[in-house]
Amino acid sequence: MRKSIAILLTVAALALPIVDATAATRATTRKIVVTKRFAGSIASVDRWGSLQVTIVVRKTTTITGTKKKVTRRMTAVSVPTYPNHTDRSVFINQNALPTLKAEALRAQSANINLVSGATDTSYGFAQSLQAAILKAKRA
Amino acid sequence: MTVIATTQLPGVRRVEQIMGLPIVVDVRDDDEPGAAVEQLFDWLRWVDATFSTYKDDSEISRINRGELRREDAHPHVRYILERCEELRQETGGYFDMNTPAGSIDPSGLAKGWAVDRAAAILDEAGFHNYAVSAGGDMRVRGRAVPEVAWRIGIQHPLDTQQVAAVIETAAELAIATSGAYARGEHIVDPHTGRPPSGILSVTIVGRELATADAYATAAFAMGPELAPHWTARLEGYEAMTILADETVFKTRGFPDE
Repeated sequence: MRKSIAILLTVAALALPIVDATAATRATTRKIVVTKRFAGSIASVDRWGSLQVTIVVRKTTTITGTKKKVTRRMTAVSVPTYPNHTDRSVFINQNALPTLKAEALRAQSANINLVSGATDTSYGFAQSLQAAILKAKRA
Repeated sequence: MTVIATTQLPGVRRVEQIMGLPIVVDVRDDDEPGAAVEQLFDWLRWVDATFSTYKDDSEISRINRGELRREDAHPHVRYILERCEELRQETGGYFDMNTPAGSIDPSGLAKGWAVDRAAAILDEAGFHNYAVSAGGDMRVRGRAVPEVAWRIGIQHPLDTQQVAAVIETAAELAIATSGAYARGEHIVDPHTGRPPSGILSVTIVGRELATADAYATAAFAMGPELAPHWTARLEGYEAMTILADETVFKTRGFPDE
């Protein structure tokens, strides 16, 4: 799996302008903005599951006279979120007597930006993000 | 799976595979950190080229072959080797760059240190809201978006789809987790040469990632009897230790919700 991970994912690459002469004649400037969502490949994280990254790309087409410039900008990237965790973990605060806290992790449905200790998940994340960016470039 | 609830996410997000790890740089300031991010990745590639034991021409490989004396090595290399020795003593030998084969492998410290200095590159360029993660060990600063602080999940060691805790922080913070599940990182107890049993993961939170990472590796190698007690005595660093029976020990100041 390691070898299949793309090396470079860069938003800067998305933003490279593509200049394309068109048949327009007058030097008026027109802007067309399209926002689209692209889903990455479903990356197998390990034997327990998989993840999929989604990005939102804003494509701006600026037409001035005969020149057309296209810029793409990634405006959002999905992150893995995790379901409520209420079942097995038992929390013991070492400063107090051991206490069961079954509801200790109530807030897991909220967004999480990054995960510590998640080497495997990060691999899957990189792979899926790369696929989403490649799709956006082709659009 | 949720898309962050803004269509105007500022800054830049970039992932590269360096040091055998996915390096995630996520800057959320309004200004585009283009040059600083280039400088940051150049720095990490230099660290990889200098410290990797997988590259024949790295300074560490040359030291291991006896072609380079430690005192002639790059000042950064000399610093890391000295710091490894300090940490070996501080951890009772549980953090040890010396391999059973007689060579040295300081990459466990170099990685966290490289991320600390990567964060400094962003600081110096005037950025205040960012995360830099190397394979799940990270430095965060500021806020993910103006209204929301960074939310960092700590991997549940038995279920990759879940987290065992969430840290929400707008402070400058390093977070490192060592566990049996991490790819390519098989931590062994240097005293026995075997992986510890009865312990699933140790998370250390504090100011420097280099130190947090070394402490997490050492505490994990210590195993279930020693780790909770050893981490409770650390100064400036808080810890969460998860044992195989799913008992969770947290130090008093561990900053999860």
